[in-house]
Amino acid sequence: MSILKKAFSLAIVSGILSGCASLIYEKIYTSSLGADFGKVVTPVGIFVASIVGCLLAAVGFWLLQRMVPKYAEIIFNLLFSILTFATIIGPFAMKMPLDMNSPELLPGMVTPMHFFPALAWFTLRPIFIGHTGPYQKIFAH
Amino acid sequence: MIRSYILGAALLIVLAVSANAQATTWQIGDKHTIRFDAGGEAGGIFKTLKGSIAFDGQSVQTAAFDLSIEVASVNTGNGLMNTHLKSAEWLDAGKYPVVRFTSKKVTASGSGFVVTGDLEMHGVKKEVSFPFSFQAKGNSGTFSARITVYRNDFHIGKPGGEVNDVIKIDLTVPVTKK
Repeated sequence: MSILKKAFSLAIVSGILSGCASLIYEKIYTSSLGADFGKVVTPVGIFVASIVGCLLAAVGFWLLQRMVPKYAEIIFNLLFSILTFATIIGPFAMKMPLDMNSPELLPGMVTPMHFFPALAWFTLRPIFIGHTGPYQKIFAH
Repeated sequence: MIRSYILGAALLIVLAVSANAQATTWQIGDKHTIRFDAGGEAGGIFKTLKGSIAFDGQSVQTAAFDLSIEVASVNTGNGLMNTHLKSAEWLDAGKYPVVRFTSKKVTASGSGFVVTGDLEMHGVKKEVSFPFSFQAKGNSGTFSARITVYRNDFHIGKPGGEVNDVIKIDLTVPVTKK
C-alpha cells in the first residue's frame, strides 16, 4: 500500500475516533456544567471538523514524505502539534449568537476537542504506518 | 347654601378628572431586548431590565419611567469580551452594577413621544432626551426606542480606539397592564 493510501486510511480512522472522543467529552461537559452549545457545536460539525483536520494532516504528511523523506516524520510531528495548538485561538475569538448564555464556557468545551485529532493520529499511527525516516538513528547517536 | 353645593360638585369633578388622569402602570415583560452597537465587533445585548413604567398616551404629563439595566447581564456573544466589558476599564460592573434612567418629562411628538430624564451610568448622571413609540394592544403594549449616548460623556473606556464614542442602543420592551 502506498504511503498516501496509508496516510488517508489513518486520517479517516483517526478523524472518526477523534469525533467520538469529542462527542463523549461534549456530553460530559454539557451535563456537568449545564452549558448547552448545541446550536453552534453540532455532532455533524464535530465529526466533519475532526475528519477534515486529519485529512489535511495526511496531505501534509504525504507532501513532507516526498519533499524531505529523511526528516518528514519529525517535521510533521512538530508542525501538527504546533498547528493544533495554534487553532485554540479560534474558540476564544468566536462570537456566539446573543441568545446563547455563558459564552465564556465555550472555550473550555471546544479547546480540548482541538487536540483530539492529533492525539488519535499519534496513537494510531504505528498501526497504519511504520517508521518512515531514519531520524531515530540520528538522535540515537 | 346653593353656592356650597356648587363648590362641592366642582371639587368632586376636579377630583374625578385628576383620578382619571393618573397614568396606567405597566409590568415589564420578559421578552424585552436591549441591543447596543458601538461599531465593528463592539456590540451585544443586556438581558436584565427592571423598573416601573407609568404611561398613558392620552395624558403624557403623568408618565413616569424608572428603569434599571443590570450591567452584569451584558452578553456580546464572546466570553472574553464580556469579561472585558464588565471590568473596571469599561463598565465596572462591580462598582456600578446598574445603568439607571429616571424620567422627568414626557411630551407627545408627531406619532410618538419624547422623554427627557436622567441617565446614570458608570457613576455619571446626565440629562438625556430620546424619542420613543408605544404600540398598545388591549391590555398589553410595546415600547420601542433608539437612544444615542456618548461613552466619553460617561467616562467609559479610554477615548479613541476601536470602539466608537457613539453607542446606539435599541430597546424593545413588551409590557402588560398591572
